[in-house]
Amino acid sequence: MTASLTAGLDRIQDQIGYLVISEEGVLASAGELENDEVTAGVMMQMVRTASRFRLSGAAEPPFKRMSVILEDFVYTVTVSGQKVFVVKRQNNQQEPISV
Amino acid sequence: MESTLEQHLDDTMKNPAVVGVLCTDHQGHNLGCRGSLSDEHGGVVSVLAKQAAALSKDPTDSPTVCLESESGNILVRSHGTITIAVHKIAS
Repeated sequence: MTASLTAGLDRIQDQIGYLVISEEGVLASAGELENDEVTAGVMMQMVRTASRFRLSGAAEPPFKRMSVILEDFVYTVTVSGQKVFVVKRQNNQQEPISV
Repeated sequence: MESTLEQHLDDTMKNPAVVGVLCTDHQGHNLGCRGSLSDEHGGVVSVLAKQAAALSKDPTDSPTVCLESESGNILVRSHGTITIAVHKIAS
């Protein structure tokens, strides 16, 4: 049961933690995100917020993937079915890009 | 001051990969926008930036949120009390 829930997240090479969340709560977690209800709650809020973002004329869902890039870590979030998948990785960003 | 912001928005739009730019305050009020991003996006953009800030233990760390879709990437980041969103497409 757990193996199918994680959908291969545990095999992502550079991950340092992951979460599988549903409306009911955390379904699976590991690494630095093990039992991290706080991060899970924030991620669910962000997914709900981001779902309301619509570009004019776009019928498609507003995002396929959401990344939150912090100084040291990157959270990558995808939604599949009724589940939200969150992966935490080290941020190996080199130089900041000048825009 | 406003003309400086307007100039920055225009300059940002000169990048061929940028198709929209939006600047809001922390309450989601639109301070200026161009292209694909408009008034209606201000609320979501400022709330997303605020929620993302809760993920960092370091209050000086300002996270970047990126929404990736078929229609390009929306990048959101706060600078002090203002939040900037940039809509980029693959160039």
